[in-house]
Amino acid sequence: MFRLALKSVRHNPKRLILTAIAVALGVSLVAATQTFTNALSSGFSDLFDDIYAGTDIVVEVDPDATDADEGGDPFAAGDGIFTPEDVDAIAAIGGVDIASGGIQVNGSVLAADAGEGDADPFASAGGAPSQIFNFYGDPRVDQSTVVDGRGVEADGEIVLDLDSVENLGYTFGDSVRIATEAGVDEFELVGSVRFGEDNSLQGATLAYISDADAHRLADDPNYASVSVIAQEGEDLEALAARVGDVLPEGTRALTGEQKAAEQTEALDDVLQYVDIFAIAFAFISLFVGAYIIVNTFRIIVTQRTREFGLMRAIGVTGRQIRSMILLEALVVAVIASTLGVVLGYLLALAFSWLVSLFAGDIFGTMTLPLEAVGWAYAMGGAVTLVSALLPAIHASRVAPMEALRESATGGKKPLKVRNIVGGALALVGAVLVTVGLYAGFDKPYIWVGAGAAMLVIGVTLLAAQLLSPLAGGMRRPLSAWFRVDGKLAANNIQREPRRSANTAAALMIGVMLLALVATFTESLKSVVTEEFASTKADLFATGAQGPVPDGAIDVIEGVDGVAFTSSVGFGTATYDDMDYAVAVLDPATAAETYEYATDPAIGELSDGEVYINPTIEALGVEVGDEVTLKGPEGEATLDVTGLYLNENEGAFFVTFPTGEDLFGDVQVVQTLIVFDDSVVADDADTTDGGVTFSEQQEAIQDALSEDFPLVILAQPGQLEQLANQFIDLLLGIISALLGSALVIALLGVANTLLLSVTERTREIGLLRAVGMKRRSVWRMITIESMIMAVFGTLLGMVLGVALGSALVLSLADFGFNGVTIPWVWLIVYTVLAAIAGVVAAIWPAYRASRLDILQAIAADG
Amino acid sequence: MTSTAAPALAASMRDGYKDYGHGEAAVRALDGVSVEIARSEFTAIMGPSGSGKSTLLHTLAGLDKLSAGSSTIADTTITQLSEAQVTEVRRKYIGFVFQSFNLIPSLTARENITLPLDISGTKVDKAWFDEIIGILGLGQRLTHLPAELSGGQQQRVAVARALVSRPEIIFADEPSGNLDSRSGAELLSFMQRAVKEFGQTIVMVTHDPTAASYADRILFLEDGQIVDEMREPTAERVLDRMKQMGH
Repeated sequence: MFRLALKSVRHNPKRLILTAIAVALGVSLVAATQTFTNALSSGFSDLFDDIYAGTDIVVEVDPDATDADEGGDPFAAGDGIFTPEDVDAIAAIGGVDIASGGIQVNGSVLAADAGEGDADPFASAGGAPSQIFNFYGDPRVDQSTVVDGRGVEADGEIVLDLDSVENLGYTFGDSVRIATEAGVDEFELVGSVRFGEDNSLQGATLAYISDADAHRLADDPNYASVSVIAQEGEDLEALAARVGDVLPEGTRALTGEQKAAEQTEALDDVLQYVDIFAIAFAFISLFVGAYIIVNTFRIIVTQRTREFGLMRAIGVTGRQIRSMILLEALVVAVIASTLGVVLGYLLALAFSWLVSLFAGDIFGTMTLPLEAVGWAYAMGGAVTLVSALLPAIHASRVAPMEALRESATGGKKPLKVRNIVGGALALVGAVLVTVGLYAGFDKPYIWVGAGAAMLVIGVTLLAAQLLSPLAGGMRRPLSAWFRVDGKLAANNIQREPRRSANTAAALMIGVMLLALVATFTESLKSVVTEEFASTKADLFATGAQGPVPDGAIDVIEGVDGVAFTSSVGFGTATYDDMDYAVAVLDPATAAETYEYATDPAIGELSDGEVYINPTIEALGVEVGDEVTLKGPEGEATLDVTGLYLNENEGAFFVTFPTGEDLFGDVQVVQTLIVFDDSVVADDADTTDGGVTFSEQQEAIQDALSEDFPLVILAQPGQLEQLANQFIDLLLGIISALLGSALVIALLGVANTLLLSVTERTREIGLLRAVGMKRRSVWRMITIESMIMAVFGTLLGMVLGVALGSALVLSLADFGFNGVTIPWVWLIVYTVLAAIAGVVAAIWPAYRASRLDILQAIAADG
Repeated sequence: MTSTAAPALAASMRDGYKDYGHGEAAVRALDGVSVEIARSEFTAIMGPSGSGKSTLLHTLAGLDKLSAGSSTIADTTITQLSEAQVTEVRRKYIGFVFQSFNLIPSLTARENITLPLDISGTKVDKAWFDEIIGILGLGQRLTHLPAELSGGQQQRVAVARALVSRPEIIFADEPSGNLDSRSGAELLSFMQRAVKEFGQTIVMVTHDPTAASYADRILFLEDGQIVDEMREPTAERVLDRMKQMGH
């Protein structure tokens, strides 16, 4: 039996090629992602090993000992917790050779030519971050070795990593500028260092300054961590335990090795999500692939009906025929999965090469993880076998009499059963999606996902019924445009509605997801547009690498032409044992700069009061209640006096004085600037005085450049553009990931046509004999292909826009205020589908037009 | 393409050779055949299996290419033409009737009949169409799909299709091969009438002496060569002649 299956595959490999490619593409996605994340993991694991290689014991804040401070400040480099006395106490422990406190400065090393005519504020402020530390002078503590010049020996000196010296354009003796929240400081460059073995910093700038300078810039007398070097021959774990005994509460000591392992593990946790994300897309691809496999095996079974009839006649059981087909499927699965694994590995190589062009060499060795191979074969095998099951059962039911029948096509079964099952599935699926989106159950995505899958299969089944009259209706216009070619194409679609519908549905799935994402992102863009439209601010100021310094706000307000500013700060406070984002604002100016969706107006908010958003409302808090918030700097019991109607931004809204009670110095994330009437539009006439908008923006930027070069100014339009670019990027990434599903679907179209050309060999031969030209045959196949492609795309768009709209509407709480249908994208998709149809038809049409007429006429069966 | 107003010959072949395969496996299907098909004549080509009769038909009709020699259709030498030009010639001058699978399954009888005209974009001559349909008795069947027609009806539709464009010549390959004797006789009578009444030229390949006896002229083929010719045949004479050839 196995030999028979193998022979069958070998005898007619062409009809299985595209099926195998479809499976291989889906599988390759899995293998590629896992190889990629594996290499990324090992790359960073090497980096962490480098970082902690010299340090025997790391003393730091214990991440498990949570307090309100944790995660509260998004820009903190880690507040100092170890006093110099703590460091001394650790140094005094027996077995400790060196104990050195480490402190990191929140700031940015500026390039030598920074601030000189940068047209684009985002370009100069972006880029890799700076890591600024206090210098100790021992490579084991600093993790860096001095390469040229010397180390930092006095205050006011600085060393940079060797790549940054070059990249930032400094030479020894130059004065290097560091921008921090407090302003800009200058240091003399005295040397360069190499980080770890080969200075692999993933593009960041590494700088060391003196201990005193570091404390001064960080505005903190304490250390964030302590690095311990043990004396020769000490048992590190025992020493770590001894160090732990003298530590303040909420801190811990662990060996460098443990720390590196912990970091790698944390990264792997993140990468795991990347894997899951990619596997989800691989599943979509394979789901689409399953359609093709079902179709292929169905057609093959139909074509071999006489063969199976003959086998049954000479005594082969139905069960044996079924096993034979499943074995064939298994052979295809193994070959395709192997191909997929290889393809995936190459894909990962190519992609990592591409990434390393931009991000530097961040990868470890590219190895194909065993896990990936396991996944690949499991998924490839499962999909192929499950898909081949129905056709196999179908084949096992072939009666011996079929062998004697003249035509192999057999009678047409009505679509009734298919329609009933399809309608039921679609209905249940739609209900599940609705329930999942609106009922508010736990894990709604399970409901939505299952519902969407059922809906897709249901619509696939119904599509056959839909396609039949559609093709019938298109017969007339197609005949008019393309004469017989068009008429025959429409007939062929109509003749095999199941096959055509399945093929179109494979494309439908990919397009559906595209349309869904496009609907979602376009609606998101509308939200962004509306947000910026409702602001009255002329400029937005944000910090490139941290909050907007208070000093910068003073500078901005001091510039002529600025009417007033309104700042927004954020912090995290604990309410009812949960952490929530707290927005801090100035009610008087806030109401003037932005239309906050609040009830009552935001201007009504006073000190000691709080507005809550729907999340908090859902906890049962009402206007008139009191809530107690606990921030890192204190507790406050506040009166709830209003509601914030959206779920985004923050859970609580308080005034600056209240915010200071909770957070101390509130970190300003954004300052909105409003100009007075002296500032006019760029295209206005300024001959009789007045400053244009751009001039005013430049004036403010100039005022800031001295001490606060890291503050970025942007017009609302620029920010809107930036946000939209980000949304487009999201759409792009998802589209790219769906690309493989779409390619597979197109392979499906080509595959179906190819098999149908084989089936219609005699018919095409006859057409050629009575005078149809090759060009016409080609056109006929192409029209068929385009009908299927466009039909699948239209179905997918209808489903995708519907599901996307449902999603957007269910997220109304998050500020979505209506569905934006992505018309432009829909038109683009339709045009692309038509083109794809032409492309998919190339091979089948070529085959059909090159058929040898004589052989076609003489072909058997 | 040169064609005079009234060529004497509908088709011809001069020193036609046809080889299949190469070297050891080479088979010579036609071995220097020269033949002339006069207009308005019903010619049958007979011969045992493997005699090359089908090859002769295919090469005459431009479905297959000669290895050597030349052939003409309506005074056009098709052996020099490109594939696309030969297709054009087939469409313009030739009608076909095959043994089976003559019709496109998805087209109705009427659509199948007008297929060659539809392909070339020529208007259907309504009177001529009705006349053919009347003679062939297909009036009630025009809207039916091939699957809904009997074998005899299907072949009659094929003949109607071959006739409708008034081709220079019709090639028929065992047209009655799959039919019972009554339907076969009916079909052949129709073809005979087409020759007699409309001056249609028909070349038919068959191995059935009865079928061949409907023709005006029979060419006997053996081992790729024309070995004999018979005019005004009857079934008995054909049978006798075949017996001489060892069949």
